[in-house]
Amino acid sequence: MDWKQIANAPWIWICGAVLAVIALYQCTAFSILAVKILKRHGLQKNDVLGILRGAAITSIGPVMVELFVMVALVVALSPGIAWQREGAAVGSVITELIQATNAAAGAGQELGGQNFDMNGFANVIFVMNVSCIGWMTAAGFFTRYLGKARQKVAGGDSLWLAALSVCATLGIFGYWASTNLAKGGGAMVAVVAGGILAAFFFKLADWAGKPRLKEWALGLAMFGGMFLGKLYAGWGG
Amino acid sequence: MQAHHKLQAICPREYAEEFSRPVHKIGMITCGLAVLANLLPPAWLYLQYGVLPPSAAIAKGMGLALTYAVPFFIIEPIIYYPILGDAGTYMSFLTGNISNMRLPCAAVAQTVAGVKEGTREGELIATVGIALSIWLSIFAVLVGALATGWFVQFFSPWLQDAFKSYLLPATWGAVFGLFALRGLRYAPAALVLALSAILLKWPPSIAIPITVFGTIIFGRVIYNCSAGNARDTDRQGNASNLDKNGRE
Repeated sequence: MDWKQIANAPWIWICGAVLAVIALYQCTAFSILAVKILKRHGLQKNDVLGILRGAAITSIGPVMVELFVMVALVVALSPGIAWQREGAAVGSVITELIQATNAAAGAGQELGGQNFDMNGFANVIFVMNVSCIGWMTAAGFFTRYLGKARQKVAGGDSLWLAALSVCATLGIFGYWASTNLAKGGGAMVAVVAGGILAAFFFKLADWAGKPRLKEWALGLAMFGGMFLGKLYAGWGG
Repeated sequence: MQAHHKLQAICPREYAEEFSRPVHKIGMITCGLAVLANLLPPAWLYLQYGVLPPSAAIAKGMGLALTYAVPFFIIEPIIYYPILGDAGTYMSFLTGNISNMRLPCAAVAQTVAGVKEGTREGELIATVGIALSIWLSIFAVLVGALATGWFVQFFSPWLQDAFKSYLLPATWGAVFGLFALRGLRYAPAALVLALSAILLKWPPSIAIPITVFGTIIFGRVIYNCSAGNARDTDRQGNASNLDKNGRE
């Protein structure tokens, strides 16, 4: 059986719906609790509408970027898997792509490659879903202790905490970028172009005084790097 | 868009009994359910299609995935908690997209309502803002996944190959480029470690931990040296003041 036959079947859409319902119940219950107390302390209907309007407008840009970048997950796996992973759960397309790539590598395969088969697909489903449980466990069981934990782990040094997460991200993305650099040809061009374009668009946002452009930097760089890599390969690279 | 009415201060006991306590209860239960919901896809895949990956593949895949994820399990709740508060933390870690969507929505909601972050009123307002962003993003992703899936079938073979072969490499390069801007002095170490491991033909299960933890260790050394230099500069500045003034 080919993995593509089941990657978009009803089962994965239902799994996504289950997670979405849990997330929607949680956020609705919390906001009802919050609004009940706020109304007793002076919150008016107009205030609520203003808050909702502000949050909605703020969400538009990031949601559009997420949909733009989500194409990568749809193409690599399926729309159903993109829904199940992006609706609730981790939410970040990039994290999901990395974990899917790691999972395929664990099965000795390349995500979306010629050798990607049912074993690789099953490993992707397992690893993507199980590996994100840590975030929910951390929130679910340790939120009430987070104030104290912050002091212990950082040693009071929040700057090092931020640097640590940058180093971890550079490490993992540096590895997968380097595997494609080592291949040469269009893959190498795609990596280099993606990196340069991302940095360029990010800096352009500052130079041009258009901070919203930063939200689009990643998506534009991804597709720009993709096209340049394909064009190079098409010309005999 | 400012609130027309100033919110009255909320007493701590009322806040604890009517908000904090139920939030922790609902938060723990829903996060527990979400953990089970994440086990559903691999279980369903096995029960309906009889497919289970080999245990060696699971072990290697999980090892690679956790090498990347574990530092973030620990760091992210700690970094974001002061801004998100209790309810915001539960919601954000269940749905993701924290720094690009949940945090900005919390900040805007607080600005509109004229409350400060870190206060009880601020957390309540942030809760409403984050909740709306979750409703919007979940439905947008549903529509987006359906529409994209339909859309992609009309791509030409050239474009389909571009997506299949070059989108992921471009993505790795783009994210690396963005984070290199934030940590330019750490980026070369990540590339050197990764390329060395690849040229030595080490398998990913060894190369990835070496690259990730090696970059973190290198980063710590650089960070300590920078912090040490800053302290030395401070001391020299103070010492010249002492000489100049003859007193502390």
